[in-house]
Formats: sequence, structure tokens, C-alpha cells
Amino acid sequence: MVLPDYYEFCCRVKIVAGHDALEQIPGLLSEKGAKKPLIITDKGVAGAGLIDVVSRVLQDRLAGILIADNVPPDSDLRIVHQLAQFYRDNGCDAIIAVGGGSVMDTAKGVNIVVSENASDLMAFSGAGALKRPLKPLIAIPTTAGTGSEVTQVAVIKDHEKHLKMAFLSYFLLPDVSILDPRMTMTMPPFITAMTGMDALSHATEAYYCLQKNPLSDAHALSAVSMIYQHLPMVVQNPSDLNGRLAMSIGACLAGIAFSNSMTGIVHNLGHASGSVCGVPHGLAMAILLPYGLEYNMHKCEDIIARLLLPMAGETDYLNTPKEQKAQKVVSLIRQMNEDLHILTNGRHARCFREVKDREGKPMVPRETLPEIAGAALLDGASMYNPEDTDYTDNLMVLEAAWEGCPLDLSKVKKG
Amino acid sequence: MEIVEVVRAGGKPFKRAYVSIFLWFTGRAIQAAAKVDEQVRREFNSLPDDFTFSLGVLPDGPWMVIGREKGQVKYLGGDPEGRHLHVRLAMKNIETAFLILSFRESTALATARNRLITEGEVPQALAMIRVMDIVEVYLLPKMIARLAVKRYPSWTPGRKFFGRIGIYSRAMLGI
Repeated sequence: MVLPDYYEFCCRVKIVAGHDALEQIPGLLSEKGAKKPLIITDKGVAGAGLIDVVSRVLQDRLAGILIADNVPPDSDLRIVHQLAQFYRDNGCDAIIAVGGGSVMDTAKGVNIVVSENASDLMAFSGAGALKRPLKPLIAIPTTAGTGSEVTQVAVIKDHEKHLKMAFLSYFLLPDVSILDPRMTMTMPPFITAMTGMDALSHATEAYYCLQKNPLSDAHALSAVSMIYQHLPMVVQNPSDLNGRLAMSIGACLAGIAFSNSMTGIVHNLGHASGSVCGVPHGLAMAILLPYGLEYNMHKCEDIIARLLLPMAGETDYLNTPKEQKAQKVVSLIRQMNEDLHILTNGRHARCFREVKDREGKPMVPRETLPEIAGAALLDGASMYNPEDTDYTDNLMVLEAAWEGCPLDLSKVKKG
Repeated sequence: MEIVEVVRAGGKPFKRAYVSIFLWFTGRAIQAAAKVDEQVRREFNSLPDDFTFSLGVLPDGPWMVIGREKGQVKYLGGDPEGRHLHVRLAMKNIETAFLILSFRESTALATARNRLITEGEVPQALAMIRVMDIVEVYLLPKMIARLAVKRYPSWTPGRKFFGRIGIYSRAMLGI
């Protein structure tokens, strides 16, 4: 156990998890004194029939249910302002966010504008701009990956000015998060695989990055255990309700862990590959995770080795020689990517050269790697990585992750 | 209720003096490093023309302010009041500042332990942290600098030797 001299930990979200957990929504709203919630979602979630599930729970108990399903795949400032106006015009008094990361971020943005009675969300960007609690927000994730239902961050893009603004405050934590397996059951195997690997990357990075602490460790280890056991099962059998619930809880645990201990090189390079080439975040996490562990191996081999217990179980952990434990963790994650590649008929990419867009064109041409390596220098996640990273380090990791071959550990610079 | 004693901010004169001198000298050293070291120059060139940065201690200082004026990097003294700051790195109290500036904790670890408050755009803050790391490697003996940075760089002896002479002499003279 690593005991830091000092750390901070906060998660004050009420988690309501289980089969039929959605049935609790009317009671939860009434606890908050809310009678007219605005449901914020996107067309994909609505099209999959998930809003109908929520509406059915609410329709007998509330007079009117307002639904806004125009959240784009990338959060958008204009939409935040539109939805805030819609909320005010209809006299709403709470927000229910149903969706993935973009919906959660949008709902948090709307909540800032309506609670502060503001005209411009951007006046509240950065850390610490919010000084008081916001309107009640209930988060219902429809993926098991982002952990946004328990994080204090929102990222909103101003597409007109090409700006991406982050909002950071404990007041952005939802009041309640509802984890109901019905909400993730319709996710296709390919999306289940990459969002699940996103959650595994949150838990793993939370466990080895600089801000780790005993409380984030406890959440991270439980998350690794749940995700590692259940992800292949739900990809293989999407209607496995218990598996879906375990994945939602695992992703939630991972979200609590990483929002209190931050992430490192995997997210650093993943954000950059997303902004330069549009690589889906979960896929980038899946590809980069083994490389992040290898890159930091010389700094935290003992810590990485401890991840073998929740992944492989007691017998394997005890039978593996001490000096091989950390390397085995890396091998197991690579093997999981291989398994997911097979289970999704090749749609789950194992390396950057396999990432393709809808038309089958490669999304990460090799010549874009220098640009990604440069873009990563602008991302704050590098700060929390145990080993320092510079342009050449980033490029070395990206080249190995593009080829799909293990990192040459002799080339990792040690100071 | 009767007020028994008013607790006033301040005190710890030794630590406050150490931090003040450290910030004053580091400010002048950053100005010097921008003239001597190519990597530091490149970092500043990536920042806005009127970029201003401040590092100091909450709530009442001391502070140091660095800025770009007409393409030159300048140490602008110890008073950030009234200035538009692009990036402000604030250590939460004098104990924290002493911990960091006496190299018992690296900047990265101090950030991870919530001892620093960063205000401003993240890419610009990261550029300034890289600059400070480089300056620390120049100013400090390897044994101490290794405690201050995540990874001690493998520079050529020439870069280290001539850079160190250039930065120390310019910082002393304030040029």
C-alpha cells in the first residue's frame, strides 16, 4: 500500500444501482423537491428506445415529462444555451441526463446556466468558478465506460470559435447516479468492448498514476476485478443482465477512482489521437493501455504487479514469480484486446493501424503520429504520469502502438 | 461571544524570506534562461506576445511575475496586482511553498497532492512548468535537481556547463 503524505478524495454522489433501479426516480426527484424534470439525451439513445423505459417509470407519477434529444455526439455550447432556454421557458426544476459522456457534459453545462441564471456558460469555465450548489441532476449512463456520472468535470466545445472549455467543480457532481442494466443492454458488442476498455483504463491509470491514494486504490482494484471478469462475457452475450450491471458498477468505481487520482500517458496520448485523427476515445484507451503500463514499468513495477490479483485471481497471482507479475498484467490486457478483436469480428482494433472509419479508411495514417506526439504536450494528463514524457517519448510509444508490437523497454529514457 | 484572541496571518519569517529570495532569483533566472537556452526560448515563443505568468504563495505572497514584452522575456517583479495574468500558479500556503521550493517534493508530485492551484489555460501552464524544470536543472546540483524534476535530462556537458554559467551570471546581473 502506498501511503501519500497528503491527499484529497471526494465523491458525494448517491449511487442507486441494481435491477429496476430506474423505478426509484420519482422518489429521488421528490426527495429533492423537484416535480418537473427536463430529460436531456441524444437521438441515438432515444432511437434505441431507452427514453421510453425512463418515460414509462415517470409517466404515472409526474404531470408532464419534457424530453430534449438534440445533444450532438460532441458537446456544443450553442446547444447548451438552447437547452437552458428550453428549461427556463418550461419552468423545469431538475435535469435527468440519459446517455454517454457528451450528454452528461451537456447536462452539467445546462445546469450551470440555469442555476446561475447566466447568459453565457463560458463565464464559469476553469476550476472553482462555481460557488454554490446547482439544480438537482440525475445521471443515467447508457454506456459502461466514461464514469461521467461520478466526475466533477464537464467539457463543452465552442464549435464556432474552435475552443474546448473545461469546467471543474464539486458542484458539478450529479446528485444521484442510477445504474440500471436495462440502459446498457442495447449497446452493440463493438461499443461495449471499447467503452469497457475505457473503464479499465480509468481504473488502471488511477492505480499507478501520481495522485493515487488508499481510497482511490480501493475503488480502482474493485473496478479492475469487475471489468476484467465481465467485459468479455457481456461482449459475447449482450443480454446478460447481471454482467451488464457488473460492468456499470465497475465503470462507476473506475470513474470515482480516476476523478480522485487522475490519469497519465494513456489518456494523454488518447486525447491527442482523438483531437488529431478522431480516434474514438475508448478504442484509443484499449490500444494504448498496455503501452502506458510498459512505459511506466521501471518507475512502478511493484504497483502494476498488484493488479494481477484482481485480474488473474489468487491462484495465478501466487503461482507467478514476483519478477513476472507486472509483465503478466500487460500480457493479460493485450490478450483481452485480442479476445475482444475476435468477439467483435475484427471491429475492436488492436493497434492504431487497424483503426478504420465507417468507410473502412484508416483513421491514423502513420505520418500523423508526429502531430499526435506534439498535440499530447498540450494535455494536462501528462502531469500525473509517473515518468516524464516529451515529444520523442510520445512518438516512440505511438509508433509501437501503431505497429502493435510491444514497447522496446531499453529505449525508455530513465533519469 | 467575546473575542479572546485575533489570529493574524503572517509569521514564519525565515520560511517567508527563503521563499521570497527563491522566487526573486528564479524569476531573474527564467529571464536569463530565455536568452541562453534554445528549449526555453522555444517554449516562450509558443506563448502569446503579451504572455504574463505569476508564481507565488496564497493568500498574501510573496509572488514573482514573468512576462513577454516586445518579444523579450522579462522578470517583472514581485507584485501581480493589477496585471492581467495568463497563468497563475499559486501554492496554497507558506508551508507548501517551503516544501516545494526546498525540493522535498517535485512540482508534479505537489500538483498531484493538490498543493498547487493552477489558473489559466492548461497548455500554457504546462509550458511554464517545463520552463521551470529546465531552469531548476541549470541552477541546482544534480543530486538536488533530481528531487525537483520527474526525470533528470541527459544533456551534453557543454549545454549544462555553458548554460549554467550564462544563466547564473545573467541572473546575478539582472540581464
